[in-house]
Amino acid sequence: MEKSIVWMVLLSMFVSASESRETPKTVQDACLSCHVRQQIPSELIYRRYLMKYSTWDRIEKAMFAYLKEPLQSRSIMPQQFFLKFPMKEAAETEEKELRREIRAYLEQFDIKKKLVLEKI
Amino acid sequence: MLRSEKRSLARFLLIYLLSTFLLFSLAAWMFYSSAKHHLLNRQQEVLKYRSEQLKSTLRALHQSNAKELVYPNDPVVKSAIYDVEKKYIFGSLQPPQSLEYRDEERLYDVAKIEPYYLGAAYLLVSKTIDHAPVAQLQKNILLFMIGAGIFFTILGFYLGRLFIAPMRESIERMNHFIQDTTHELNTPISTILTNIEMIETFGNREEQSEELKRIEIASKTLSRIYDDLTYLNLNHQYHRQIVRLDMSRLVEERMVYFSAMAKAKGLHTVLDIDPQVYVEMDRNDAFRLVDNLISNAIKYNKPNGRLEVGLDNKGFRVKDTGVGIRKEDMDTIMQRFKRADKSEGGFGIGLDIVSQVVKSYGFELGIASQEHKGTEVSVRWKKA
Repeated sequence: MEKSIVWMVLLSMFVSASESRETPKTVQDACLSCHVRQQIPSELIYRRYLMKYSTWDRIEKAMFAYLKEPLQSRSIMPQQFFLKFPMKEAAETEEKELRREIRAYLEQFDIKKKLVLEKI
Repeated sequence: MLRSEKRSLARFLLIYLLSTFLLFSLAAWMFYSSAKHHLLNRQQEVLKYRSEQLKSTLRALHQSNAKELVYPNDPVVKSAIYDVEKKYIFGSLQPPQSLEYRDEERLYDVAKIEPYYLGAAYLLVSKTIDHAPVAQLQKNILLFMIGAGIFFTILGFYLGRLFIAPMRESIERMNHFIQDTTHELNTPISTILTNIEMIETFGNREEQSEELKRIEIASKTLSRIYDDLTYLNLNHQYHRQIVRLDMSRLVEERMVYFSAMAKAKGLHTVLDIDPQVYVEMDRNDAFRLVDNLISNAIKYNKPNGRLEVGLDNKGFRVKDTGVGIRKEDMDTIMQRFKRADKSEGGFGIGLDIVSQVVKSYGFELGIASQEHKGTEVSVRWKKA
């Protein structure tokens, strides 16, 4: 429990940095504004999805499934997370729009954009 | 070296060296394959180690919030990461290639990553094969083969000469035998022809008996040579007929047979032949035994010397006052074609025949000799 709190505090330090970049308006409205308010770093969530699902298509599929029907078993976050934060409500956005927003989200935090080769 | 000897040696060397070379080549190839595999494995281990290091780096990068995630770019070991569907994500291995692609000049190692740091499910590491140790291995093996080749060539040459040595000796003995044969046969033949010519030229006269005697001696000599050679040549095929032989009568007959030869040399003959001495043996073997001992005693006797022939139930002996046998020749005097004294004619087969007969019947042969004094050869019918 104490470990989770420390982890949350540390994460929150990066929230404003990651969230300050320019993002599509719909993603901002749909997700980030709540995330910023609740200090849940979106990039970290993306990294967790990346670590579990690897490919863009699999991440999109998993995220869509969770957003449409949020369940703890579908969540990328650990159990302890839900001791602090309530389960989100199901997204009411239309499927096509939701998928578009997910893609925008992934596009924003795409790991390939950050990777650079070391200079020798 | 004779031509046949050279040919045999060359053939032996060829087969020997070829088989040795093939065997060594096979062994060298097996060793090379194993050693090369081991060398490449060691290089592969370096890759595996580097792969583990990179996994740690990927984990660190995944957890980093830096603006830029700097992917390591080792100058020697290149790498790339692939997602769970084996699609290329990023890497230092350029140009980007599929996970299954292989270059013959490079070593590869694929490691699975879980969880998927940076989305990577596979980590491919690769480095150029270092051929230097393999080249050194090839050089060492080649040097070894050359060294072994030189060594085995020399050894083969030496061994070949060793193997051929008995053949060479046989050939030399045969050559001597042929030379002696032509000489030995030539003498009695010339004697016969000369004396026949004299008889034809000078017609009937009393002295003809001398010519006839010489013809007789020469003919008997020819006959004896023929018998000895036949005995040697066909001995293994000859079917012996063991009979109860009257040795007394046989020895007396042979002495009559050789009387002309002994008289021609002026020998004083002393006979000490017991009557009714019987021996179980083949008649032809008995002839060979008695004839060779008596003819040797006559041949190697001094002119006007003494010839003693004795026979009793214990054995047979012949003694002469001839040139004798040197001490150093005593051990080898029985060898075929061995002639201790080449002053007289002969092939050196007489004592060899005597020795064979003695052995086959279990008799005992004794030779006592003194150089320039004479020789006594004795045969005991039964071993003591």
